[in-house]
Amino acid sequence: MIFDIFLLQQVINGLSIGFVYALMAIGFTLIFGVLNVVNFAHGEVYTIGAFIGLMVITALAPPLVAVVPLVLAAGALSGVGLERLAFRPFRRFTDEASQKSRAMREATLLSSLAVSIIAREIMMHLFGGDMQGVPSDYLLQRPVAIGPIMVATGSLVIFATSAVMLGALQFLLYRTQTGLGIRAVSNNQLGARYVGIDTDRTIVTTFAVGSMLGATAGILVGLYDGAISPHMGFAPGVKAFVAMVMGGLSSIPGAVACALLLGVSESIATEFLSSGWKDLITYSLLVITLVFFPQGIFGHGRERA
Amino acid sequence: MPLDAVTDTTTTAVRRILEVRDLKVRMGSQEILRGVSLDVREGSIVAVLGANGVGKTSLMRALSGIYRTTGGTTVFAGQDLTNSPSHAVVKLGLAQAPEGRQIFGTMTVRENLLLGGRVRSQDRAARMEAMLELFPRLRERLSQKAGSLSGGEQQMLCIARALMSKPRLLLLDEPSLGLAPMVVKQIFDLLVQIRSEGTSILLVEQNARAALRVADHAYVMEAGRVTLSGNAAELAADPRVQAAYLGG
Repeated sequence: MIFDIFLLQQVINGLSIGFVYALMAIGFTLIFGVLNVVNFAHGEVYTIGAFIGLMVITALAPPLVAVVPLVLAAGALSGVGLERLAFRPFRRFTDEASQKSRAMREATLLSSLAVSIIAREIMMHLFGGDMQGVPSDYLLQRPVAIGPIMVATGSLVIFATSAVMLGALQFLLYRTQTGLGIRAVSNNQLGARYVGIDTDRTIVTTFAVGSMLGATAGILVGLYDGAISPHMGFAPGVKAFVAMVMGGLSSIPGAVACALLLGVSESIATEFLSSGWKDLITYSLLVITLVFFPQGIFGHGRERA
Repeated sequence: MPLDAVTDTTTTAVRRILEVRDLKVRMGSQEILRGVSLDVREGSIVAVLGANGVGKTSLMRALSGIYRTTGGTTVFAGQDLTNSPSHAVVKLGLAQAPEGRQIFGTMTVRENLLLGGRVRSQDRAARMEAMLELFPRLRERLSQKAGSLSGGEQQMLCIARALMSKPRLLLLDEPSLGLAPMVVKQIFDLLVQIRSEGTSILLVEQNARAALRVADHAYVMEAGRVTLSGNAAELAADPRVQAAYLGG
């Protein structure tokens, strides 16, 4: 019985980590959808979200609910900036040959990697490489008893925020003109141009939305873990990338489901393995998925050039 | 009866919805369009005929702002459209049902139509209703994924999507491609109806017979240039056209 409660607690911890991966993975998936390119700077957006949140907290000491909108704004801005710097310059070539060209895609892949390195180095320069502590008033580590299990406030905040953001995203994608445009560009970019969609603007919007989710994930984890550093975006970025690939690259529900699966698996695995081995779980799941479901678990054979 | 010249200067009284002059498109070192000139009079159906690879689709893409042009001008309804971005072109009232249809396969038929009407959102519901009157097959399929439709239905969706923006000029690129003769006839009959409702049509076709049957005026393209033009009945009777495009 003791063991069961403990397991349940680990599942809850795992779900909250999983939701963080999910918020990140959605950003990857949205951007991959409209551009067919992986955005390697997504992990840095997460870090920027955490640092902006921390700066706001130390400078203004606002209530927690006020921190989130500011982080959202910072995320949107960094997404727009990232698109301008690393992606737009490579979209000048609009003819079919270059749009399908592998070289063009790899160029953006590398330019996003370059921007991510530059962003990380700038943050290192500004804040130093060490962990930054979070003022204790804002730490989300207070345990709350729900029946027999203890849940950290951080988990609850992550659940609530993720639920709101997933709901808002669903509303945006399926109930608004903007969302209709994003889905159209993801489905068929040339078709989108024929119906008069400004694809450049749609792509910028997608970056803004995806980066808002990523930046929020960053500050939530920062407040939960109590430490923020320029390198903090790397590991969750990789996990979210794995979730996206497992989910089939272009499926948002797939990415969310796989992100939750990864979070819970890692959390339970630490029961049986030393925590240093938990990354092994993620990569094993990735390899198993790719061997047995090469399209991803939720993929449906999207056409690739 | 001689064919009239490519640039018709005699009838300024007739309003032209589209005037293309010496349009050039270059891809790398290849000149795909080498100076195309053509006119579409308001309320007419104009066909551009030609074999595969003579630049018909490039012409259509250039007109819709998908390809950048390297020379020449396009004037649409009195406005210079040369190298306007595709979204501006649609907004001005020039829509295209492109080659390969380019519908949104993973989205529903309704969403495809809504996207088509996105540039003019005022009376979108009424226009959707009008489209479903024109293409009753689509009404039965409204909540299905567009990718699950048959080829003919997809072509109808593609045309309906373009018409949702209430264009003054509709460009059609190979609407007959891959369709059964019955369906082709159905679609071409609809073109006449669409024109009667006030939309001019510029049509690119390899199926010259079907195109000449509905067109008022036609141009023949070869190797990136217009080589013949005239009213459709004259062209259909021209021995050169008969030999090359109507199977003798």
